[in-house]
Amino acid sequence: MSIFTRRTFLQTSGAVAAGAALPLGAPAFIRSANAADTVKLGCLFSSSGTMANLEGRLNYVAKMAAAEINAAGGVNGKTVEVVASDPASDWPLYAQVGRQMLTETKVAALFGCWTSVSRKTVLPVVEQNDGLLFYPLHFEGDENSKNVVYVNSPPASSVLPAVDYLMSPDGVEAKRFFMIGSDYVWPRTINKQLKGYWKSKGIEESAWKEEYVPFSFSNFQTLVNQVRAFADAPGGKCVVVLTVVGSSIPDFLREFANQGITATDVPILGLDMVEADLEGLDTKKLVGHLNCWAYLQQAKGEANVKFLSGWKDFVAKEKVPFSADVAIDPMVSTYDAVHLWAMAAKKAGSFDVPEVRKAFAGLSFDCPSGYKIAMTAENNYVSRGVFIGSVNEAQGFDVLWQSKDTPKPVPMSPFG
Amino acid sequence: MRMGRRLGLLLLAFAAAWGSPALAYDRAQIAAQACFGAAGLSEAAATLTAGAASATSEDAAWAATLTGALLDKTIRCGAGASTIESPSGSVDAATLAKAAPADGPAPVLSLKNRPLVETARAAATLFAGATAGERAAALRALERRAASLPPDLFETAAAREPDAGLKEQILGVGQSALLNSPDVAKRIAAIERIAAQPSRRAETQIAALKRDPAYGKEAAFAAAVDAGLTSIDRWLRVSSVANTLYNGLSFASILFMAAVGLAIIFGLMGVINLAQGEFIMLGAYVTYAVQEALRAVAPGLLEWYLILAIPVVFLVVAAVGVALEATLVRRLYTRPLMTLLATWAVSLLIVNLVRVGVGTQNLQFVTPSWLAGGKLLVGDFIVTWNRLFAIVFAGVTLVATWAVLKRTRLGLNIRAVTQNRAMAGCIGVPTRRVDMMAFGLGSGLAGLAGLALCPIYNVNPQMGSNFVIDSFMVVVLGGVGTLAGTVVAALGVGQINVLIEPLYGAVAAKVIVLLMIVGFLQWRPEGLYAVKGRRK
Repeated sequence: MSIFTRRTFLQTSGAVAAGAALPLGAPAFIRSANAADTVKLGCLFSSSGTMANLEGRLNYVAKMAAAEINAAGGVNGKTVEVVASDPASDWPLYAQVGRQMLTETKVAALFGCWTSVSRKTVLPVVEQNDGLLFYPLHFEGDENSKNVVYVNSPPASSVLPAVDYLMSPDGVEAKRFFMIGSDYVWPRTINKQLKGYWKSKGIEESAWKEEYVPFSFSNFQTLVNQVRAFADAPGGKCVVVLTVVGSSIPDFLREFANQGITATDVPILGLDMVEADLEGLDTKKLVGHLNCWAYLQQAKGEANVKFLSGWKDFVAKEKVPFSADVAIDPMVSTYDAVHLWAMAAKKAGSFDVPEVRKAFAGLSFDCPSGYKIAMTAENNYVSRGVFIGSVNEAQGFDVLWQSKDTPKPVPMSPFG
Repeated sequence: MRMGRRLGLLLLAFAAAWGSPALAYDRAQIAAQACFGAAGLSEAAATLTAGAASATSEDAAWAATLTGALLDKTIRCGAGASTIESPSGSVDAATLAKAAPADGPAPVLSLKNRPLVETARAAATLFAGATAGERAAALRALERRAASLPPDLFETAAAREPDAGLKEQILGVGQSALLNSPDVAKRIAAIERIAAQPSRRAETQIAALKRDPAYGKEAAFAAAVDAGLTSIDRWLRVSSVANTLYNGLSFASILFMAAVGLAIIFGLMGVINLAQGEFIMLGAYVTYAVQEALRAVAPGLLEWYLILAIPVVFLVVAAVGVALEATLVRRLYTRPLMTLLATWAVSLLIVNLVRVGVGTQNLQFVTPSWLAGGKLLVGDFIVTWNRLFAIVFAGVTLVATWAVLKRTRLGLNIRAVTQNRAMAGCIGVPTRRVDMMAFGLGSGLAGLAGLALCPIYNVNPQMGSNFVIDSFMVVVLGGVGTLAGTVVAALGVGQINVLIEPLYGAVAAKVIVLLMIVGFLQWRPEGLYAVKGRRK
């Protein structure tokens, strides 16, 4: 599949290059007219391959945010135009497409990546070209680049509060942990930090177990057997910390429920689990399992009502091939990202990356999550609130707990 | 959780001390507490559980309704009173009289409160359940938490139980609730009862008694604990072997289903069909179409859509296969490498057609009640119905395929063409037609694999690519072209995978199995079973 998509990529990029070369030969007034009224933003989200169902929707939400900005008069006198691409869930392709977008399409900023491995491939590209990448996922932290805006949260302000909740008397007083993740950077780093965190709380090493599965792994029968065995051993309440990604999430949940384990026996904390992962599952047997994100669809507040109805209208108007009734955190984070970029560009009065970057300090935005999210001059992290969601019967999450305010993001983990 | 339970026990002790057996619930207060944050809810649930044994049957019925409403989220917590939505309109949560619906939301049950409320509902249902079935279900829910419940709950329930069989069961469960009784004889009986249903949980529960003071003092008690542990341990070992065998078999059945179509197309015809995975995916989508059609036309049959879809899936996917053979593959028999590229292109085309036509999301399948969940057979050995379905389905497919190949004219022709195409043509076998039918058969079998996978994996346009590699692995290992080889290879790969996984992890298992296969093919390039006869 990858060669084919690479081939189509070469073809399309050839066409793009030809298209880019054309204006050079065109009379000067056409070129300037073109450049005068639009500013381009690039999207690096896959609409094919294993991440398609999740990442695909982010292209559209970026377009929706751009449409909102344009309706309000654009930025610095220009219309915002979103250029989408398809890196086909093929990690090296993200870097290639990213480079193309920065150097040839001349986008003012990139919005993209879901998996940490794709972000890691794009990172050198944005750093070499001094571009801007807005990354909308919560992630393992331990990274701080002046070219990346980390719109979502590092573990200290997403995962750790959720783990704290599980270990508290309000949660389940969890004492033992079964970590299951896909075998790549985000689960491995998160689990390393979690282990460090538990050690700092005086929890013995025998109280956790760690297992990794390949990407798009689906046969979870043996692993769930192991979870049952581990959970029934003495030593206190066991929880599963789930960091598998993509199609492995519903497969795991289905097997878990099928073997008769309920959330009251062994709760799952799904760090990657979003509303869209529950599609096609019988969630009656999964009620009570947890996730943690900076946004849940059931978040209260006017901003969320506005966002959800805006998405519904956009889906209907633009014939978007995704559900109009499902909103997930990375969608909102992408939406926030486009708005934050527009605010910064407006404040800077320019689209140049160094100018826009300087304008980040002090920006704040009324996020659909109901929190006022903010940026400081310290780094390119955004302060977000935290939600813990509990799976309900209707393939969604109820808000079980949410932070009082927006914790200050700590990029580097002291527990790694 | 512990706090709440202790509070409940305290309350109970209080009630017992006053000698008032029929302590009525303060309904208004409990209903208000249930709506008053997580702490209030814990308290309300503990009160309901503790009072279940002494409540009047009317109170028990009310408690069952209230806790049921909390679990089903049909309760509305308003500013003043809370109400419960029921099919006949909304009623007041405390009095169950008709009332205007309150405008608040239902409280979200925390992980701490959910089991408390579930226990409270089960305790109330044990007394107020209308049918013996309902009460038996409630008893099952209470069984696992028996040791933490007031023992008189079971005694009272047994005394009131009209159904003799259920009465016995309640008394039995009540016995295991006496693990902490002051009477040593009762404790020993409880240990024996718990050990009779061996599981790791039971082992943990009994092993904890080794630290009990009675273990050092009472020889009979110590003997009962040791005997219980030995017996549980033995059963756990049996169940762990059974689990491994069952997991291996179920994985093997999936591998076999994915590979059997390929064994015919690649094995017998020598065509490298990279669209095989997409045929599996198409099979799943046709199953979905059948489900949706049944939902529209005959909702009563929805429960059986997986069975009813079998012929449809086979015929539709076989037809797609025949069409593919007639338009594309037929022209490329002399150029195997070109078939590889052409079928690859077809696979991409199918994936994208489905993506554009249906979308990328996972399909929503109804889980028929006969496929949901599983049964704990012995110890920790659980048989899940969806896996059992896949195993049986694979078995039936194996027999059917074998019968077609060995017992029908088509099978005879396929074998003849495989062994010597030219000679078969000379004696009047319509080789072109046989090719087409064989390709159709292989495609149809792939479609059936998709059907068998619906209850286990999620179904989306990308699912096919997961199976292509596995199925080629199995077919090549088995010895290209033999059905028996496919079966043995699937069983072997499945079992070895399951054996390695707990030891070295799933990632290593995949790699080790692949290396083993590579090593094996170095030694025996023709695979497990070499095909007799001349191959071209």
